[in-house]
Amino acid sequence: MKSFSYAKVATAEEAAGLLKQRNTRLIAGGTDLLGLMKERLIEPDRLVDVNGIAQLRGITATKENFRVGALTTLAELAAHQATPLIIKEALADAATPQLRNMATVGGNLVQRNRCWYFRSAEHRCWLKGGPRCLAVDGDNRYHAIYGEGECRQVTPSDLAPALIALDATVVMRTDEGEDSLPLAQLYVAPTARHRREHAVGDDDLILAVRIGGDALRRHATYLKFMERATWQFAVVSVAASARLVEGRAQDVRIVAGAVANIPWRVKAAEDLLAGEKIDDARALAVAERFVRDARPLRDNAYKVAVLRELVRRAVLRLKD
Amino acid sequence: MPSARVVKNRTEFEGKIYEELALVQGADIPAWSADAELRHVGRSRLRVDGPQRVSGRARYTTDLMLPGMLHARVVRSPHPHARVIRVDAKRALALAGVRSVVDRTSAPELFDEEVHYVGAPVAVVVGETEEIAADAAHLVEIEYESLPFVVDLEEAIADRTRVQRKESYSRGDARRGFREADIVVDARYTTSTQLHNCLEPHGAVAQWDGERLTLWESTQAMFDVRKGVAKAIRARLDDVRVICDYMGGGFGSKLGHGHYSEIAAVLAKRLGRPIRCVMDRREENLVTGNRSATVQRVRVGATKDGKLTALEHVAWSGTGTEDGWVASTTGPSNGLYEVANVRSEQFLVLTNTGPFSAFRAPGYVEGTFALESAMDELADKLALDPLALRRKNYAKLDPQSGKHYSLKRLDQCYSRGAELAGWSRRKAGGTAGRHAYLRRGMGVSTQVWGGGGGPPAYATIHLNADGTAIVRAGLQDIGSGTKTAIAQIAAEELSLPLERVRLSIGETDAPYGPASGGSMTTASLGPAVRLAAVDVRRQLLEVAAGLMEVRASEIHLTDGHAVAGRGGKKLALDEVFSKLQNYTVIGRGSRHPNPEDVRLRSFGAHFAEVEVDIRTGAVRVLKIVAVHQIGRIVNPLNAKSQVEGGVTQALGYAVSEGRVLDRLSGHVMNANLEDYKIPTVKDVPDIVVEFVPDLDRRANNLGGIGLGEPPIIPTAAAIANAVANACGARVRTLPITPARVLEALRR
Ligand SMILES: Cc1cc2nc3c(=O)[nH]c(=O)nc-3n(C[C@H](O)[C@H](O)[C@H](O)COP(=O)(O)OP(=O)(O)OC[C@H]3O[C@@H](n4cnc5c(N)ncnc54)[C@H](O)[C@@H]3O)c2cc1C
Ligand code: SF4
Repeated sequence: MKSFSYAKVATAEEAAGLLKQRNTRLIAGGTDLLGLMKERLIEPDRLVDVNGIAQLRGITATKENFRVGALTTLAELAAHQATPLIIKEALADAATPQLRNMATVGGNLVQRNRCWYFRSAEHRCWLKGGPRCLAVDGDNRYHAIYGEGECRQVTPSDLAPALIALDATVVMRTDEGEDSLPLAQLYVAPTARHRREHAVGDDDLILAVRIGGDALRRHATYLKFMERATWQFAVVSVAASARLVEGRAQDVRIVAGAVANIPWRVKAAEDLLAGEKIDDARALAVAERFVRDARPLRDNAYKVAVLRELVRRAVLRLKD
Repeated sequence: MPSARVVKNRTEFEGKIYEELALVQGADIPAWSADAELRHVGRSRLRVDGPQRVSGRARYTTDLMLPGMLHARVVRSPHPHARVIRVDAKRALALAGVRSVVDRTSAPELFDEEVHYVGAPVAVVVGETEEIAADAAHLVEIEYESLPFVVDLEEAIADRTRVQRKESYSRGDARRGFREADIVVDARYTTSTQLHNCLEPHGAVAQWDGERLTLWESTQAMFDVRKGVAKAIRARLDDVRVICDYMGGGFGSKLGHGHYSEIAAVLAKRLGRPIRCVMDRREENLVTGNRSATVQRVRVGATKDGKLTALEHVAWSGTGTEDGWVASTTGPSNGLYEVANVRSEQFLVLTNTGPFSAFRAPGYVEGTFALESAMDELADKLALDPLALRRKNYAKLDPQSGKHYSLKRLDQCYSRGAELAGWSRRKAGGTAGRHAYLRRGMGVSTQVWGGGGGPPAYATIHLNADGTAIVRAGLQDIGSGTKTAIAQIAAEELSLPLERVRLSIGETDAPYGPASGGSMTTASLGPAVRLAAVDVRRQLLEVAAGLMEVRASEIHLTDGHAVAGRGGKKLALDEVFSKLQNYTVIGRGSRHPNPEDVRLRSFGAHFAEVEVDIRTGAVRVLKIVAVHQIGRIVNPLNAKSQVEGGVTQALGYAVSEGRVLDRLSGHVMNANLEDYKIPTVKDVPDIVVEFVPDLDRRANNLGGIGLGEPPIIPTAAAIANAVANACGARVRTLPITPARVLEALRR
């Protein structure tokens, strides 16, 4: 690992000031950042440790508002009694207990992707400024089944799809104070000029994530598919939520993780469910619609089958 | 003193039979009889070194920090095949704390000009700390000329220059056998490269004292390390001392010295400081060995009623850059069933990938998957119960030698296993699970293996003035609990409590001991330890007889007492010890040769119950029943752990583990514990373990043979067969991933 200087800050203002310096990174739990540094995928000159900013830690919950500070660990979030069930489901199989004790909410949302070409210091792929994507002709069993872009990496976070299914907003620090935007907007497919999985800049500071009252009352569930019982990034995951009005689904959200550059929604599939009673046939139709436009690569056609089944099961679970 | 003589002995090691000369002393004794009242042997005992291991007090090679020690990091090739043109160490040497950078020009004995796989060593950096060395390794600039390469096994098989025939076997006339068959199964199986991923990485620490080298090394075979290193650095055997106190797993990958041992030894001498060279996790996955990937073709012919008429097994094993030997994948086909006509061939295939090495039952694990899958495919075609088909072709005699077995109770493994697994619940076509998309199934598979051990193996026992004993032997405990078993054997004959027996092992200045490999450690060394203990006991009885004023032949030892046969005179051993002042009773024992007229082999059967999600292809293994026959079990608790570990490692092999190679760059893409998926504790099913109680009295004076490898052999096929039973998906490729299950379901 390259040597770096280190500063621990006590306020968001201090952090924001230091983060403006060149080649400087914010460190929270360090579970992703340090891995990237050890592999020399990033070599920051300075680290700004934000763990001393008390205001970024903890959960405030009312009937109408659920707010979790960016520095709250995944373990703390999973254990809190006011945390929505879907979030608890998403965290139950996220990483491992040790990692959940260190990993923070903010870090989880902006962690880098797990494409093995990206993570290998010895492969210079498109996302790292190279001429082309190495996964397209390489081993792409875990890669994207949607999307057209050059890069075929997939979203690694378990938390992001679950939060987006609850229309979560993310609270960012600006020079003027705070600014909120829908969490879904953080995620953008990389482009030739912006070779990054999200819109958060190195000098941005996430303060918190918020879920509004409506969404808190929705039925919601999260399903994750792995090839072993635990300790694997999702091969496919599905977060679904809906309000049930006299047995009919409203405000339907179906968000798939690990299938595209960004948490993936298929509006037409959600519309198929809106206003309808949930039963086996409907769930299957929604699932079929969800995967209709999937375009798997050479090695990952199975992910389409898995996704179809996860969507079907998630939709059925919304009934309960 | 007993006389020494040289004997010829046949030992089966890692699936191959070796004939060697060995020196033995005195005469052997018979195994304890089935009704002998034993106080230690055959009883469950906690590991004698358990507290050290779990509290962190046990010192492993990687923990060693010697004063003045320097750290070596290897600079490795990013190319699967290349010529090293130039190594420029200027920038690395400029880093504070870097002591030396060595490459081919300065150490031709350590590096080749051409590299043949990603991870092949090109240079080594020595620094004051591990971190400095690692940082400097990145600053070494190397110019390569890339050369053509192949990393894919199937691609390499198509290239004749990369394929060598290493073994072939036949009996009878396979062609005629297939003509006589009513039904033939002809199937192709493939298995992935399995990586050992020992918890403790490979590595060595070297320190010189004048011409004498001390080498701490994490190894399963201290004496082979000594021999290999002495040869490499042209030293005398007595100038090299290898130490391995504790080790954290080897599974076959630590059976000889490594490149790191040579680096440590050579550079420690040059720099006059101790050198530590220990691999990191990535190196563990690239350069320290693996189980060969295989492509196998199995043809089985049988009559309508299930009698095998012919069996043909051809295996191609990818050995990476290792072109010396290949594991015996066809071994199980050659020796498991009674079939008159057999033909098999074993090919070695070279690829530009890290060299393979032994891996827990090398070859037999891969081959049993293919053979026992094919047997089930045959049973399916014949509409026979898979167990009935196996029974029908049961070999009473060893099909290869025609000899009797010293013990064969495979039939009991089948029947007891079937009972424990509830085999009668098995239905052709599987059974329903909780949901319409869940199917349940059961499968069985068989294992055959060696593990009889043999000479040479020696031990001495010193009895101290306070009645404690020290067993000295050139033994390393790979983590399987050998130490505990050895202590139990000594305590048994010495009639001492277990705590009074200490082991002095883990270094090569001790009497020669066998490798911890080939399932042969206890079966090789245990009998020698027993004889050493008997030797001590004999001397002790002579002393006691003198004190008791009776003849030595009239007394015996029980429960820490010398007891006279007649008159009931009794003398506590502690009293004997206290009467003597400073003394050492020294007992010696050696391992005697194996019987010539019988074949020593272990047998076992595993039954798997699985649940398959036919929509996602997910396989959940619910239960494994493992019943083995190895003769006497020295420590049932340890033996059970051994089986559980084997099953778990096999579970990974069956459903989740496999090295992923990028065909275009030749790199291993999952050289870490996140992407290389070893089963977690949540994946491990209910494992039911039993042993056939019969003793293997001909095997050796313990009456039992080894268990290290047998439990990893049959599991993958049992799982594959259970998956096929559950949902009709016959997956002929390991690991059985969801993708492969879905693909098989579509066929
Ligand atoms: C072996 C392993 C397995 C894993 N498995 C899973 C899994 O199954 N599911 C899953 O969801 N995740 C998984 N993870 C990822 C893990 O959850 C993330 O690494 C973790 O959440 C990151 O949080 P952190 O606090 O450690 O972030 P850090 O490593 O400290 O930071 C990560 C990135 O986020 C930035 N950052 C952190 N906080 C903020 C903030 N407040 N504002 C702006 N930027 C910020 C940092 O600058 C850095 O770029 C796994 C990780 C590992 C190592
Ligand atoms: S998928 Fe993206 S990250 Fe992976 S190799 Fe292609 S460009 Fe690089």
